[in-house]
Amino acid sequence: MIVRMSKVEIAGPKQLLQDVLALVRSLDLFQIEPSTVGFIEKGQEEDLRSYSLDEKTLFERLFLEDLRDKIQKLFSYLPCLPVRMSYLDPQPIIGTIAYTLEKHIASCRELSEQKQNYERELSELKRYSGFLDTLESLFRDSGTEPNLDVIGLTIKDLSSVEQVRTLLSRLTGGKFKLFTVPAGDGTLGGLITVEKTISEKVSRALSSEHIPEMSLPESFDLLSLPGKIEYLEKRTAEIIDGIGGIDQNIERTCKRWKPIYISVLAWIEERLSLLTASVSAFQTKMCFFINGWMPTSDIERLKDHLNASYPHQVVVEEKEMHEEDLERVPVMLKNPPYFRPFELFTRVLRLPTYTSLDPTPFIGIFFPVFFGMILGDAGYGIILLILSIILKKQFSKKAMIRDASQILFISSIYSILFGTLYGEFFGDLPHRFFRIEPICVERRTAVIPMLYFTLTVGVVHILLGLVLGVITAVKKKTKKEAFYKVISILIIACLITVLATFFDIFPEIVARPVILAILFLMPFLLFTGGLLAPLELLKSIGNIISYVRIMAIGLTSVLLAFMANNIAGLMGNVVIGIVIAVMLHLLNIVLGVFSPTIHSLRLHYVEFFSKFYEQGGRQFDPLRKGDAGKPY
Amino acid sequence: MITEKALIALCAALAIGLTALATAWAQSKIGAAGAGSLAEKPELTATIVILVAIPETMVILGFVIAAMILFGGK
Repeated sequence: MIVRMSKVEIAGPKQLLQDVLALVRSLDLFQIEPSTVGFIEKGQEEDLRSYSLDEKTLFERLFLEDLRDKIQKLFSYLPCLPVRMSYLDPQPIIGTIAYTLEKHIASCRELSEQKQNYERELSELKRYSGFLDTLESLFRDSGTEPNLDVIGLTIKDLSSVEQVRTLLSRLTGGKFKLFTVPAGDGTLGGLITVEKTISEKVSRALSSEHIPEMSLPESFDLLSLPGKIEYLEKRTAEIIDGIGGIDQNIERTCKRWKPIYISVLAWIEERLSLLTASVSAFQTKMCFFINGWMPTSDIERLKDHLNASYPHQVVVEEKEMHEEDLERVPVMLKNPPYFRPFELFTRVLRLPTYTSLDPTPFIGIFFPVFFGMILGDAGYGIILLILSIILKKQFSKKAMIRDASQILFISSIYSILFGTLYGEFFGDLPHRFFRIEPICVERRTAVIPMLYFTLTVGVVHILLGLVLGVITAVKKKTKKEAFYKVISILIIACLITVLATFFDIFPEIVARPVILAILFLMPFLLFTGGLLAPLELLKSIGNIISYVRIMAIGLTSVLLAFMANNIAGLMGNVVIGIVIAVMLHLLNIVLGVFSPTIHSLRLHYVEFFSKFYEQGGRQFDPLRKGDAGKPY
Repeated sequence: MITEKALIALCAALAIGLTALATAWAQSKIGAAGAGSLAEKPELTATIVILVAIPETMVILGFVIAAMILFGGK
């Protein structure tokens, strides 16, 4: 349901503003309204002006914002490690923190740059290492070929290897060998052996094709091949040690200082949020005024707290709510624990307006019923029940999954209930093995009775939607719309009565007066709903017929389960039969989760909500701890 | 008698088949446009799901007619 809100003004001596804001924030029940519209009466606007921070507070704000940015910069250098909690009070040490922060940023920046240099060098060395290893094995194998020359090159990716190979084939007439070694950065190190006589020609061709030759650093020039390899290994080990040392150093800084900086950052954000919020207040020469919205039921609590802290100094006044205010009142949904998970479905759409109705309780009642009616299999229901319990335990901390599993839990109970009524347990197994007849109806064969049943459900749901539409219109004080909805309800009821006479549910004699009643109501419908009203009426009839999907989707589910059992029975082998049946039933369960969910939701969103739901409400967003950076 | 049954079956098949094709065509158009919209505005997910689901009413109506033809409405 939508919580009743009040328009409230808090006033007091100007010097108490920051303290009052801190108190209001700790209560988590007041949304500040920065706009004056609807709060400040005409004629008083000139006496009031926006609250502006004094020089000292402004300096404090700039200092804290700078400190916050610096802490965030330091965090970008530090790894994400689980750290202890700091219990130091940040306020007295804020000056010291500003000093140490500079030092830590400088040292962490230096370490980070050093690590980047090491990593760059390591990547280069890996490339040379692959190159030299291949070179060594080549010279070991071809020691008897003194006429060979070796060319090293960098190939950008695997697809370019073929291009190089084609080029070499053309230049050397196939007298070459190409070895490739993957380098660390995604490129390939290539090694070509060709006869000395054509090596220069190959080098030139490679250069003209923009394939860079690999050249070793100058420091390698004086070393022999084994010396080069040994030097590489030694340097690589040194770099790995160096990186390890830097990581340890940064980790040590992180474990020692990050907890302190985290608590300082939290304190800074709290303080900044207070300073930012104070800009939304108004002031006269002596007093401050804070305008905003809060739940009506919490006004007394706020008054008590303010009275206790500032007796006879701060006043809370509930202002009269005007009709034009209704569009700006923020919306807060509050539902009993059973319905709360279903807010997940309400929040898929935009929030309802303050004058509309919260559809959550209706989704909470009808969604599981529709789900159960569609799936309608006790066996599937039990599996989904177990699955929902596992999900709830596994993801107890993730609100969205917890809510979804709670919805699945309730829906699976309804599936078991309807499965029992339909006599379905993994399809027609009760009938197949034990000759148990359904308690209520066998969906597979009773197509027409199920069709009538689902149409009846549709009539009830749509008429309920229209009744809720009447209530919404009355709340909005739009009498014409309320009358239109009432007339629509009456005409739909009359049409259903006429249809019922066709199917011998009511005697035929009833039809004539009911048709006359429809004709009598039609002008009123046109008057209240406009020329498109009959079209809307037809749409409502279409909406009712749409509920047949409950039966149609259910029928496909039961037929799939029936076929799974039939196919399994035809296998001739018990084991294979069971495997086939399990696989087909699993498929049906997967479909049985998605299909009923989507169609039940559609029936709510398209058919039911269109009768009363008005989107566009503003979320109630009270001043609370951790609101730093919130734009006012 | 057999011809009559065949005609009834054909009519029922046409009632559901044609409406299924119509729904599929409409959903393909809405689905493609919806996917494009979602790439730019993911917050429209609910609206797109509703829009995609709207043409399903056609096949449901077709199904009702087919059921009436096969099993007799009255």
